[in-house]
Parts: sequence; C-alpha cells; structure tokens
Amino acid sequence: MSDTHHAPAEPQKIISIDAEYLSGHRFPYQEDISLVEDIDLMAATPGPDLNWLEDVQLLEEEGTPAVFDRYSNSFLKIYFPIPEGRENEIARKVLIKHLQAGNSYGIALKERHCKFPQPQLGPWVEDSPTVGTDWKPSVLEGWEPPEH
Amino acid sequence: MDAVRTETSGREARFDPRGLVELDERVPRVAELEGGRATFDARELTTRQINLELRRLLYEENVHEVTVRNPGARHSLGVGILTRCSITFEGSLGYFACGMIDGPEVHITGRVGWSACENMMSGVVVIDGNAGSLTGAALRGGDVVVKGQVGARSGIDQKGGTIIALGDAGSMTGFMMQRGRQIICGDVGPGLGDSIYDGTIYVAGKIKSLGIDCVPGEWTDADTELIDRKFEIYGLGAPPRFQKFVCGKKLYNYDSLEPSERKLVL
Repeated sequence: MSDTHHAPAEPQKIISIDAEYLSGHRFPYQEDISLVEDIDLMAATPGPDLNWLEDVQLLEEEGTPAVFDRYSNSFLKIYFPIPEGRENEIARKVLIKHLQAGNSYGIALKERHCKFPQPQLGPWVEDSPTVGTDWKPSVLEGWEPPEH
Repeated sequence: MDAVRTETSGREARFDPRGLVELDERVPRVAELEGGRATFDARELTTRQINLELRRLLYEENVHEVTVRNPGARHSLGVGILTRCSITFEGSLGYFACGMIDGPEVHITGRVGWSACENMMSGVVVIDGNAGSLTGAALRGGDVVVKGQVGARSGIDQKGGTIIALGDAGSMTGFMMQRGRQIICGDVGPGLGDSIYDGTIYVAGKIKSLGIDCVPGEWTDADTELIDRKFEIYGLGAPPRFQKFVCGKKLYNYDSLEPSERKLVL
C-alpha cells in the first residue's frame, strides 16, 4: 500500500484586502483625527499643487470610509468622524501619514524583495535609507540549469 | 548585483536574472558635484551608465538637483527614480523616457520618443519639444506637460494624473482612459477618448471624431479652477476656451467589477 499523501490546503481567499488584514493590526491614525491634522500635503507631494494626491479621494470599503493605498493595493479604513467638507483632505492626510510612517505593506515587501536600489520609504520621506542593494536571485533546491 | 556567469557546452555566458540587457554594472562617477547639485556629460556613457550615475547621485550622494548634458536621444533614461529631486536633461530623449518615476520634477529641453512617462506614479515632467505616441501610457499620477505636439494614443490606459499638450494630439487620444485628466490645446485626431471608462479630456482645437462612448461633458467651476491652476503653475499664459469630454457610460460596467479588478483602476 502506498504512503498516504495529504493534498496541501487551499490558500485562503480574501476578496477585500485592507491594510489591517495585511499588517495584522489597526493603526492609531485610523481612529484619531488629531494624529493627522498636522500633515502638510503640499510639502509631501512634488510640484506646487497636490500632484498625485489630486486623484486620491475618500471612498468606502465594507460600509466604512476608507482611502485606497496604491502602494499595497489595499484600503485603509478611517474610523473617526470626518468633518463635513473635508472628506478628501482627511483621506489624503491619513494616507500620507500611513506612507510616511512606513506602515504600507508595499514598503515591507520592498525591503524584502526589491531588485534594484531605491529609497525604502519612497518620495514622502527625505533621506530615507536605500534598500535593494544586495538582491540575490532565489535558488530552487535541486534545480539544475538546462543544457541548452 | 553582478551579472551571473554560467557555463553551457563549454561556453561561458553572462546574464542578469533581472533581465538587464546591458551587463556593465560599473558606476561611471563622472559627475561634478557642487552644494547639493550635480552635472554630468552623458555623451560617452551608455544608457545603463547614465541611469546608474543618476541613482548614485540621488540615492547615495544626497544630491537633489542633477543636470544631464548631451543625453543623445538615448532610450529609457531617467526611469524608475523613486525620490523627490529635480532633473534636467539638456537635449532630447528616446523612447520610454522617465517611465515609472515617483517623485522627480524633470525638465527635458528637447523632444522625446514614444511612451514618455509611462506608468509614472507622481512628479512633474515638462517637455519643451514634441512627444511621440503613447505619451503618459498608464499614467498613475503627476503632471506631464508637453509644450509641442503629442502623437497617437496619448494617455492610453491612463489611471490618474494630468497630461497637458500645448500643440495637437494624434488619433485615439485617451484610448481606454480610466481616470485622470488630459488638456489638449490644439486639434485632435480621430477616435478621441475611444472606450474611455472615466476621467476627463479637455480640447481647445478641432476634433476629427469622437471614439466609442466618449461624449461632451458639462462644464463646472472645478474644471475652470483646474485649468487655470495648471496654466498658472507651468507659466502657460492665458488658457484658451476648451470643450470637455467624458465617458458616456453606455459601455460602462465599473460598478459590477470584481473587487480585485476595481482596485486596478484606483
């Protein structure tokens, strides 16, 4: 009788990935507006206007106000009440706080996997350390290159 | 990392597993530095050497302002720069100029080939001359200002940001555009905004024909504010009178997209 083989479990399928799922916890600036009020959006973006943040707006994810983090392809939910008329401004400030704090999951992936030297935290933080200077291709155990 | 050496059938071959064609990884270190600024002549350098020198200056030497002389219309220059800085190319660039950048403010004093600023995430690129086709392809954010004319399919698959062209634009401008803005001061060719999903196209000149599902939009104060602001920022003078075009939503199924598909256009 042959040995019993167990098929590997199906990978968990997540339809709506949010920042909390990726990082495993919620961040204080998602719950406290005072932690984002002092963010200077103009200083955080290139050029004399909001530049790329012009396209960032307050959205909704699973019934909760949220801002989309394009660097981790995830939504960052906002749990504090947002003052009327400041929806997009607050969404942009929460996102920039998230990026400047280095909490975006894309930044963690960058440190582990990037193949070319680049600033770890991106263009939102001055003098960010450089990562990706010593990338090595992964080696599959037992694999030999083909002869031709 | 250094190129990898393998031996096959007695012959040694070198390759870079990241797909780089040019295997010379030596940084030329030819720039003259002065107080946070740097200048270097690219005439004798290869494409990879120019990009390596740029990255050395911006990432290692803490330089924030770089001037590249004699870029010689080489392709793929200034790509993948992911920091806030100012770069001036004194001359013309080839195709895929300044692609995938996130943060730089770039001034190109000449012309550029096709696909300039493709996949740009943020920053500003000002091109004094003309740009080829596919300018701002899949643009995600930031401003691309072309003071001359642009070729066909400008902003194809555009997902954010603003493309401004002072001259004419070719056929299929804004093809499959999903977000963002285009401001065309001259005439546009046939198929404007074909299969547009979202976003706004402003045209001051004549339009050869509209593409599928591209329709005139209602002008608002926000449109006037956007155009006035961009013209003022880039010193483009008084803006002409524009027509606005948006998605007619006849082909529109955005609301029924799967969550993972929806994220692709955010």
